[in-house]
Formats: sequence, C-alpha cells, structure tokens
Amino acid sequence: MSDAVYSILWLIPVLPLLAATLIAFLGPRLLKQHSHWPCILAIATSCVLSVMVYWHVQGAEGDAPASVASYYPWIQAGSGPYAVNIGINLRADALSSMMLVMITFIGTFIAIYSIGYMHGDPGYPRFFAAVSLFVFAMTLLVLGDNFLVLFVGWEGVGLCSYLLIGFWFSKPSAAAAARKAFLVTRIGDVGLMLGMLLLWMMYGTFNFWDVNDAEGNLLYSGIFNQVERQLQLGTLNQALILAAALLLFCGAAGKSAQFPLHVWLPDAMEGPTPVSALIHAATMVTAGVYLLARCTPLFLAAPDAQLIVACIGGFTALMAALTALTQNDLKRVLAYSTLSQLGYMFLALGCAIKFASDTNLVTFAVTAAMFHLFTHAFFKALLFLCAGSVMHAMGHVIDMRRFSGLRKVMPITHATFLCGALALAGFPLLSGFWSKDEILDACYQASQEGPYASVYFTLLVIAIFTAGLTAFYTFRAYFKTFWGEVKVPEEAFHHGHGHDDHGQGHSASHGGHHEPKTSHESPAVMTIPLLVLAVFAVGVGFVLGPLTHGFAHFLHKTPGWPHMTEEHHMNIPLMLMGTAVVFFGLGLSWLMYVKQPELPVRLAASAQGVYQLSLNKFFFDELYQGTIVTPAEQVAKLSAAVDSGGVDAVVDAVGLAPSKLGELFRPIQNGLVQFYALAMVLGLTVFLLSLIYKL
Amino acid sequence: MFEDHHIVLWLLGLPLLSAVVVWCLGPTRGPAIRAVSFASSVVVLLLTAMLIVRFLAISGERSPVTEDTVHQESKIHTFKPEFVPGASAEDRHKTTWNILSFGRGQIQFYLGVDGLNIWLIVLTALLMLPSVLVSFRQITERVNEFYAWLLALQTCMIGVFLAFDIVLFYVFFEVSLIPLFFLIGIWGGSRRQYAARKFFIYTLAGSLITLLGVIGVVIACSPDASSKLTFSIPELVHEVHKNLENEDTRGYWSAVQLWTFLALSLGFAIKVPLIPFHTWLPLAHVEAPTAGSVDLAGVLLKIGSYGFLRLCIPLAPDFTLVNGLPIITWLAAIGVVYGALCAFAQDDVKRLIAYSSVSHLGLCMLGLFSLNAIGIQGGIMQMINHGLSTAALFLLIGMLYERYHTRQLKDYSGMASKMPLFAICLVFASLSSVGLPGLNGFIGEFLCLAGIYQYEVIDRQQRILPILTVLGASGLILGAWYLFTMLRKLLFGELREPSHEGEPITDLTVREWGLLTPIFILCVVIGFYPRPILHTTEPDVERIGLIVKQARKRAGLSIDPPPLVTGRADVR
Repeated sequence: MSDAVYSILWLIPVLPLLAATLIAFLGPRLLKQHSHWPCILAIATSCVLSVMVYWHVQGAEGDAPASVASYYPWIQAGSGPYAVNIGINLRADALSSMMLVMITFIGTFIAIYSIGYMHGDPGYPRFFAAVSLFVFAMTLLVLGDNFLVLFVGWEGVGLCSYLLIGFWFSKPSAAAAARKAFLVTRIGDVGLMLGMLLLWMMYGTFNFWDVNDAEGNLLYSGIFNQVERQLQLGTLNQALILAAALLLFCGAAGKSAQFPLHVWLPDAMEGPTPVSALIHAATMVTAGVYLLARCTPLFLAAPDAQLIVACIGGFTALMAALTALTQNDLKRVLAYSTLSQLGYMFLALGCAIKFASDTNLVTFAVTAAMFHLFTHAFFKALLFLCAGSVMHAMGHVIDMRRFSGLRKVMPITHATFLCGALALAGFPLLSGFWSKDEILDACYQASQEGPYASVYFTLLVIAIFTAGLTAFYTFRAYFKTFWGEVKVPEEAFHHGHGHDDHGQGHSASHGGHHEPKTSHESPAVMTIPLLVLAVFAVGVGFVLGPLTHGFAHFLHKTPGWPHMTEEHHMNIPLMLMGTAVVFFGLGLSWLMYVKQPELPVRLAASAQGVYQLSLNKFFFDELYQGTIVTPAEQVAKLSAAVDSGGVDAVVDAVGLAPSKLGELFRPIQNGLVQFYALAMVLGLTVFLLSLIYKL
Repeated sequence: MFEDHHIVLWLLGLPLLSAVVVWCLGPTRGPAIRAVSFASSVVVLLLTAMLIVRFLAISGERSPVTEDTVHQESKIHTFKPEFVPGASAEDRHKTTWNILSFGRGQIQFYLGVDGLNIWLIVLTALLMLPSVLVSFRQITERVNEFYAWLLALQTCMIGVFLAFDIVLFYVFFEVSLIPLFFLIGIWGGSRRQYAARKFFIYTLAGSLITLLGVIGVVIACSPDASSKLTFSIPELVHEVHKNLENEDTRGYWSAVQLWTFLALSLGFAIKVPLIPFHTWLPLAHVEAPTAGSVDLAGVLLKIGSYGFLRLCIPLAPDFTLVNGLPIITWLAAIGVVYGALCAFAQDDVKRLIAYSSVSHLGLCMLGLFSLNAIGIQGGIMQMINHGLSTAALFLLIGMLYERYHTRQLKDYSGMASKMPLFAICLVFASLSSVGLPGLNGFIGEFLCLAGIYQYEVIDRQQRILPILTVLGASGLILGAWYLFTMLRKLLFGELREPSHEGEPITDLTVREWGLLTPIFILCVVIGFYPRPILHTTEPDVERIGLIVKQARKRAGLSIDPPPLVTGRADVR
C-alpha cells in the first residue's frame, strides 16, 4: 500500500463535495454566472488524482493491487458476532480506479459543455452545485470498501438525479419525472439494503474484503473472502447466497433501470441534457453494473442468480431496442438505447458462470460488461451532448418530426454525432464494435455447456438481433435529424434558445451576433467537449480493446476475479455475423429514411398493433399505474377513511360511554319522594325475602 | 465550582424559574418576555452541552461488562445513573434526598443521567430554542402565559427523562399533560378545545393505568409488612431481578409480570403512539400551535418509547420477551405501513406529518423491541432523529401557515419559485426524514432494521420471509412516497399561491432560517459522525441486553442461537 495513494484517495470525492458546498452557499449571491469554476476545477483535479491512482494500480505488482484507506469508524453498535462495525473505508483497485477515471474525465467535459448549455439559466449555480455533489456521490460509490459506504454514494447519486431531473421544477412533467425516478429506484434500494443485511447476518461484516494491518494481522474480515473460502470448502449455503445475490440485483436493476424497474429512465430525460449525458447515460445508471462486477465472487457462487441476471438483461435489451424503433423524441431514442445497452451489460454479467473448475468465462464476461460500460460511457455521453447541441440550436425542440437536414446547419455536431452513432451501432473498428462483440462472445461461450446452455443460446440470438435493431434505430435517429431537406422549427429563431418553455427565461446570450432566420452551430465551449469525446468514442475500443488487451489486462488485477488461464482469442465467425447484422440494420434504416421516406409510414400502417405497442413503450406506465400506483392510492385513501371513521370512532364511542351510562340511570333520580319510598320498600321486601328463603 | 449534579438541577430548575418570571412580567411586555424565554433556552442548551462534555468524559468507564466474566452470568444488573444530586457518600448512583418519608419507605428526589436519557434531554433543550423563536410572531395574545406554559413544559419533559424515582417519573409524566393541554386549548386552531380535551383525556386514561402498574410493582417488591418499600427505579429493577432469579419467588413473579407489562405498556403505547391508540395524535398536531407541535412530536412522543425502555422492559423482562414482544413488534410493523398509507391520503400537511410520526415511531419500536443491542441503539437513534427531522418539518409548515393561513396541499403549487429558501429547507428536512444516508435519519433506520432482522433471523429462526423486517423496510419506500408527493404538490409545478391579504409574502427571514440551522447542522453531523451518541448509549443498552439475556435463559431460549451460516470467520 502506497502512502501517496493512501493520502490522496479521500480527496477524490471530497474535492467535488467542497465545490458543491461552496457553490451552494456562495453561488446565488457571489459566484452567479461564474459558478462553474469551482465545479470544473474540483472535478478536473479529481480526474488528475484518479489518473494517479490508476497509474499506481497499473504499476502495482502481484495479486493485490489495492489500497485501502480507512478514515474513521462510522457506525459502531452492538458486540459479539452480530456487531455492526462500519468504517469510512475507501478502496482503490483496478475496478474502482477505472471507474474513477471514467467518471471524472467525462464529468469534466460535461461540466465544460454545460457552461454553454446552461448559460443564462437562473438556476445556473444550483445546476453546478448538484453536478459537483453528484460527482462526490458517484466517486464515493465506486471507492467504498464496504456496502454501507457504497450505499451512501448509491443514495447520494439518486438524490442528485432527483434534483437534476427536476431542475426545471416549474414544469409539472419534470417534477413528476423526478419523483418517479426517486421512488422507483428506492424500491430497488430497499432490496439492496435487505441484501446487505442478509450478507451481514451470514458473514458478520459489511466489508468487501479482508483488511490487514501493516504486520499482516487481520483487522476486518470481508464477505468475499469468506464466500471464496466456503466455496472452496463446499460449505456454501446455496439458497442464502442466491437470495442475497438476487436482493443485490434488485438494487442494481433499480439504479440501472432494468426491467421491471426501468420505467423511470425515459422520463428522466426531462432534466437538462448534460445531466442526461452524465447521470442517465455514462455514470449513475451504470452503478448497478459496477455493483455486480464488484460482487463477482458472490455471483460466481450463485449460477441461478446469474441466469436471472442474464435473462433480465437480455429481455431489457430487446424490449428497449424495440421501443426505440418508433420514438419521435431524439432524447428518448437515446434513453431507450441506454436501457438496451445496459441490458447488454447485464447480459454479459449474467454470462459469468463457471464450468466445473474452468473460470475463464467469469473474468472474460465481467470484463466484457465493464468494457462495454466504458465504451458506452463515451459514445452515449457524446450522443446526448450532440442531442443537447441540437436542442440548444433548435430552441429546445427535440421532436425529430420538426427538424431535419441539420448536417449543413451544424457541421461539428453532425460529425461528432455520426461518430457516436457508428460507435453505438457497433460499426467495425469503432469502440462499440469491440465491446459488443465481447458480449456476444461471452454469451456464445456460456451457451456451450452447462444446464442452461439452451437459455444462453436463446439470449445470444436475442443479442445479435438486438445489435441489428440498435444499428437501425440509431441511424433512423441520425438520418431523421441530419439528413433530408433543411427544416428548422419556429422556436429556433426566437431569441434566447429555449428554456422559455420552462418559464425560466434566457438572457440574450448571443445578442450581438444574432441574425434572424438562421440557426447555427453551438459555441466552442460546447463543441470542443464533443470533439474530445468523439475521439474517445472512435478510438478507445481500438486502443484498449481485444487488439491490445489493454483494458482487460488492467481490469484483471481486480481482486476476486478468477485468473484467466489462457488469453482470449477473437471469435471471428461471431464477429462477422455481428457485423453483418449491423450492416443490415444500417442499410435498412438508410433505405427507409433516406431512400424511400414514405416506407416507414406504410409499414406503420400495415402493422398497426406492433407499431402502437412500440410507440407506447409496451404500455408499462399504464400497466403500473393500473396495477400498482392507483391501487396503492386507493388503499391509502381507505386507510385514512378507516382511521377517522373506524379507529377514531371507536375511541369517541368509548369516550361517550360514561355519559351514556349516566343517562341510563338518570330516570331513577327523578326527585319524587314517593318513588324513592316505593323503591325502598320494594328493595327491603326483596332483601327480607331473600334472607328468609335463603336464596 | 460547578459540579456535575448542579447542571442536572439547573436543567430542571431554570426553565421553571423562567416560567415564573415570564408569567409575572404580565401580558403586555412582549419583548421582555421573549428575551427571557430565549435567554433561558439558550442557557439550558449550553448546560446540556456541558453535560455532554462531562458525560463523554466518564462514559468510557461505564460499561457493565467487566473483566470478571464468570461472575457476570449471575450478576444482577440495573441502571447506574450518573451526576445524581444529593448522592450518598458510599454510592454515587444513589441519592439521599427524600421528598416524602413514611413508614416503610420514602419517595426520593432522585435524578440522574445515563446513556438512555442524556440525548433525549439534549433533544428537549435543542428543540426549545426553535419553539421559542418560531412563536415570536405567531403568538400575539396572552404572550406571558404562552411562554410560561412552554417553559413549564420543558421542565416537565426534562423531569421525566431525569427522574429515577418511579413516583417522580410518574408525576412529571402526568404533569407534562397540563402545559400542553393549555397550549393546544388556548393558542390552537379552530377545533382546539375538542383536540385539547381528547388529547388530555386519552393520554390521562392511559397514564392512570400506568399508575396502577407502578403501584403494583412497588407493592409486589415488598411482599410483607416488614420489608422496605422502594420507589427508586434502579432498586426496583434490581429487586425484580433478584426475585426472578430466585427459584422460590419466580412463580409468583412470572404472574405479576403479566399485569405489570399490561398496565405499563398501555399508557406508553398511547403515548408513543402505537396503533390502534394513535388517533389523538393527528388531531392534537393539527390544532396545536407550531411550538406545541414541535414539542409534542419532537419530545413528548419519546416519553412513551423511553418509558418502554426504562420501565416496561426491565420491570417485566420475561413477559416482554415471551408475550409482549410479538404483540408490540406486530403493532409497530403494521403501524409503519398503516401510518405511511394514512399519511399519503392526507391533504392537510400537518396531519400528513403527524401520521408520518406514527410510521417512524413504529420503526423505532421495532428497533427497541428487537431486544438486541443494535436494535435498541437504533431505536434510541431513531427517537433523536425523528425529533430533529419532524420538528424541522413542523417548523417549516408553521412558517408557511403563518404566511398563508392554510395548510391544505390543494391550495398550493410551485412554491419553490416563490420561496426558494423555504423549498431548500423543506427538501432537506424531508430527506432527513426519509433516511438518506449521510443524514441522521439513515443511521437510526438502518440500525432498527438490522436489529429487527437479527431478531427474526437468529432468534426466531425466521429465514424464509422475515416479515417484520420487510414491513419495516417498506416504510422507507412509503416514506419517500408520501413525502416526495407532498414536495411535488407543494413546491414544484406552476406557481399557485393561496389568496392572502396584508403584507407581501417573503421568503424565510433571518430569524426563521436561523432557528432551523442548528437542527440541520445536527442532521449532517449525526449522519456522518453518530459515534458520540452510539458510544454513550452503549453501556446502558448493554445493561438492558444483559437483563434480556437472563430473561432468555429463564424462558428456556438459547442465549447463543445458531448463526445463519456455520463456520464463519471470527469478526473483530
């Protein structure tokens, strides 16, 4: 453990936290339109520190290239076998340092982009405060060395997501979307919490790994060490491990928007577009993937859970891709594409099964998932930022039916979007191609043997089919936006570039050089991040992918991932098949949206049922509204009615009892002396008679 | 110069003294009255700060678990209050001050501080400050009486927590009803008289039954005319345990416990409130002035849960363990869900928060009645956290009501654009209430759930479906559901204000956000550094744990039930 890393680790989350605090307190009065400075400086510094940590891990020798820094004991309660003993412990290993670099790097450029995008918004300081807070929570999430620290980050990113989705809170749809996102992910979070508690009951700790002190004595024992030990000894309780794995997956599914908890993510597009890029594409939504990758030793021991993960992932990938086919809102197409790609990642994670003693596939599949997460972060962030650039120019119109032919109007945005779209579609040699191919390969390998081979084979077919769909819907969006005749909506000419529909107003940002009836490229502060991300979206797979194994070799240093006994070789036939499907999807969308634009309309008319199903997102919202939300509201109303009409009425009745009882006897006290005399005589007679006859 | 027990006495005496002074100032001298009340609450707060510092200094040595573990098993455990005024020379945990001596015994002026009550005293002192400040503009009639009752209420609440003599406890417990009765009845809303009467009679009915239990325990502890009557809680606990451990008297005492438990728990259950004894609460909250609501939700409800912890569990451990536990935990778990559902359906914000108290205290009771160290510590944390977050919510709603004179959600929309600072504060208080990690609420909720989960999985071997835990955890989802729905309706969307007349509506003033700031700071501090609280409560929670352990042994339950997974590594 290096002292240098030990001493800087805490700075990575704390710097953005400081920035957030600074902006929150000084922003509205002092910093105002300069509020981005603390945010960008903090995230950029964190990025530099993250790269340092990365190099440290890269250079570390041996099996345990991890630094654990424990700062202070946080929650301590109880004693004996069921003590709760949780420290603020941070861990820097391959997995977390890779995540850190990605989060802070993309975060920096998105923050820079936001200077242009959010310019003039009255909530400018609030935006940057929330973004800084988000980076704090997200870095804490990936740095945490126990479930509780992870959970702090986990809920923290959820909070920031809530605050940023509802950024334009006067808009009822944004307010509703923010609440929905928080509640739906919270359902998953409770699952995660119960999973944590179950693991604690089983292993008496919340730590991931054993922590030793300088002399090598055990300071804390970790869950994963114990799981590994039990796996070796064969004393593992399969049912409990399965339950724990599934509960953790609940949390992952909520955060990463997997079926059936996926409904919040498309609505989350109500937030500002940089937020969609940062939180709802590149980082936060991948937290679930990270969690499962982190818990590899656990999931390794629960093959049944893996099957469920793979099936949910495959289903989400397909369902979201089908929905994306017909969406008219550019951002929603991208949102469903995110769902679909996250589904791919979970599919890959679910393929991490071991055959007898062969654990090669485990590491390969998890690496594939993480690699896709990595490449996806770049190209999807890029695509969202391009969509934001389009929105910025179109006066916040994002409906693809209302603009087209923008490749002439916005050349940089067009070129960078094309890079992102090709990468997403999996065009050969671009980043998405490599990572998607690895996922398909993992799926293929999983379908080779084992009791669930046929299920994995079906999933492979679904994955390949979805790859074609991905190419199709991505280029449908691309062609609809950038090709065809130039069409620009009315709103683009009203000065002030949108925000108007949010009632926020927008100060005359380009007042000086505004010419009517033209729309133009976004400012440099927005296009430069686009260019940077485009370079990464194109090249990252080539440089780090299967050609060099750079990514894989680095990530394999993560503790708990089984060693790969043999180098992975590219599966050329599968790669060719994947490529063919991609070209087919690409060609079809070219045919339908460039060559014969009337074709989609006819197709939609001829397959009305399927078209409506896709257009309405398979009616999940309506289904949940009918089966969960409305009944819950009815039950709540019923409870309130029972409470005031039932429980409280009983209380009032009991309260009335004494006076009612009094009324019952009131007639006796009628004040007539004759009556009293009569009662006395009668009473005496009864008394005497009872004495005489010994009744 | 200023000894530890002087602090204890001043804590009790100062608010009462100030109440008398304030009363004597007469109704017209508003500024002077407010100044005295404010100064008094500041001084009391400083005194509690001193108390904490001194208590932290000694709390390291307070653990009941000594090196002598062999002796440990048979030892009889009881409470060990510190800083006892009038402590006798031979035992610093006992007092020599008698209030009333008669034949066989004496009622003592027995006060003290231990881990179970210290933070509740701090909470009382801390919430007094915002209660006083928030009333500066809200209360304009009979000002002197208002502050006098408020200060008297503080004395009573601190008295309940400090008391270690069961009669003294009972007296403070009862007397605390009177100030609140007047606070609601005079300065309350439109149905204030009905609310005050219902609150008074309902809780009085409960506490009269508690009195029966108190008398019962005292008499049962001195079975014949020659033995001494004791009213000291530590001694009673000691006595009960001695008798329970004794084979000859155990049979009789097992029977006595049934009645002790029933009598004590009924009064406390009404106070907490556990369902179905909760219906006085929403009504009292809605009608009470803001300061009354703050003290009611923040402190008075905790007297109930504190009573369970201080009296009910230690004085009837066997019955609590075997019979009381299932009943109370089920009521609490149902209360978590039922309270949350009722909260969702409310249109009056104060009613909503009142029902949320039912839900949150359900979780607190789940923690306490898991009867393990983690759960009890969680329960205590939950008491403090609920006090802070609910007080903040009531204060904020009070500020809103002061401006618009309505609390109906349907009258409001999009208030965040009109009052941004108010919106930030309300969101913060709500986040604290829903248990966001990093804020205070999470620590309590997490430990409560961990405690009840341990009880179900290990003690009850309920491995398939730990239903109580699931019900408790669903409170987290439901809590977010009703609070975030409230936030959306109240703060977000297009701006729609209720009609109002008079001066224009402003955002929170310096006084208003200033009075909230200490609460919020504490929320963050507890969220990230709960150690002082967990550390100080630990020894006394251990004491209760040992009492329960002995009860488990008597009940024939295993003390170390088999763990969930065999062969796990030793944890240090």
